[in-house]
Amino acid sequence: MMWKMKRLLVFSLLIFLLFSFFLLKLNFAQEVMEEEQNKITQAEENAEKIVPSPKDIKESIGIYVFVVWMWIAIIVLIYILRLKIKEVDRLFYIRFFSAKKK
Amino acid sequence: MNLLGKKKRAQSWFDERFGISGIVKFLREKKIPQHKHSLWYYTGSAIMLFFVIQVITGFMLVFYYNPTLAEANKSVGRIMTEIPMGWIIRSIHSWSSSFMIAFVFIHLLSIWITKAYRKPRELTWMSGVFLLCVTLAFGFTGYLLPWDDLSLSATKVGTDIPRSIPIVGVWVTKLLRGGEDVTGDTLTRFFGFHVCILPVFIFILLAVHVYLIQKQGMSLPLAVESKKEKIQELPFWPNFVYRESVVWLILLGILFTVAIFLPPSLDKSADLMAPAPEGIRPEWYFLFLFQALKIFPAKILFINGDTFIVILILVEFLLFFFLPFLDNKPAEMKGKFITFLAYVTIVYAVVMTVWSLL
Repeated sequence: MMWKMKRLLVFSLLIFLLFSFFLLKLNFAQEVMEEEQNKITQAEENAEKIVPSPKDIKESIGIYVFVVWMWIAIIVLIYILRLKIKEVDRLFYIRFFSAKKK
Repeated sequence: MNLLGKKKRAQSWFDERFGISGIVKFLREKKIPQHKHSLWYYTGSAIMLFFVIQVITGFMLVFYYNPTLAEANKSVGRIMTEIPMGWIIRSIHSWSSSFMIAFVFIHLLSIWITKAYRKPRELTWMSGVFLLCVTLAFGFTGYLLPWDDLSLSATKVGTDIPRSIPIVGVWVTKLLRGGEDVTGDTLTRFFGFHVCILPVFIFILLAVHVYLIQKQGMSLPLAVESKKEKIQELPFWPNFVYRESVVWLILLGILFTVAIFLPPSLDKSADLMAPAPEGIRPEWYFLFLFQALKIFPAKILFINGDTFIVILILVEFLLFFFLPFLDNKPAEMKGKFITFLAYVTIVYAVVMTVWSLL
């Protein structure tokens, strides 16, 4: 029982030490003010910021279609590779190539 | 002559000149040990994959990028808005650099923890540490190239750090900046480093590193080696290459998906006269250093705080570089302490990075 208590105490202490870094940051009132200020500056900044995105709906659909096809191709290729891996492993374990050499 | 005969003749023609059959024979005979830590063997080839992507997308971007004060930001803007699929290429270049650096860290830490740097692989480790430095230098120089407020300020902070090194510090800062301050000369200089000087270094170091790996073979982790059981091995070609291909495909899929859905934006052109913007932050892989510099006191006894921490980092780097010679008997108590240090480093880097992001 004592041992369990000790373990709990050590764990709590470790977690407290880890999170004490973040506790230093807790200053709610200032945070809210900063957030408001940030929103204003963010809006000003966004006016001159280039946010990359597809030019039109055609390019946008093209990209989504590409992503879907890419993942389908990857899944199919992985399936084929798995079969190939099984086959080459089997040939290796039955010493197919070493027997052929002899 | 049938098609098969022609193919064989062409093969023997090339073989006579390049000696390809020797390389193929070597790859067939090269064996990869299979054990519970084999997963780490894939990190090296993952780095190579991202490096190749970096080279290809870098070539594409360099056709349109203009490394001058007036044009740098505009040319990146043009790449993102006017060049067909330019924003995706830039995004892949940016994300693949992050992926590459992440894998370099994982690769190095896995070698540290599994003690793969032991004799006779000391030089492989040292060339790897140099490769880490060159990779970080690529990231650092590339960060300035879009020439926006954030990259300018981060470069000012970054290039100011070496100034704290005694004797040579000021000279190093001047060398990096091409003058007293970060200006258009720094941009041209960084572009030169990024596309000319660093690629030469990385190709030489990669050649040495890969040669040493082939020469020494794959290492066995200390935990596996100490069991003294016979380890199962697989041929590199084709068994291991097929397995690596699966990892490459998954990584490629993740990279393309992330690059398409989370492309990096571009801020307005940097103003050399403007004050530094709020929230200056380097790339994620420098955050743990950045946070350490931020929280360190200005003076420690009689020494300047910045000088103290820069010297501390340099000493740590030297210890890290000469690790194979310091930990020459890894199975002993000292070796276990060095493994413990690796875990402490991981926790420290993660905590500092998260703290910096908060």
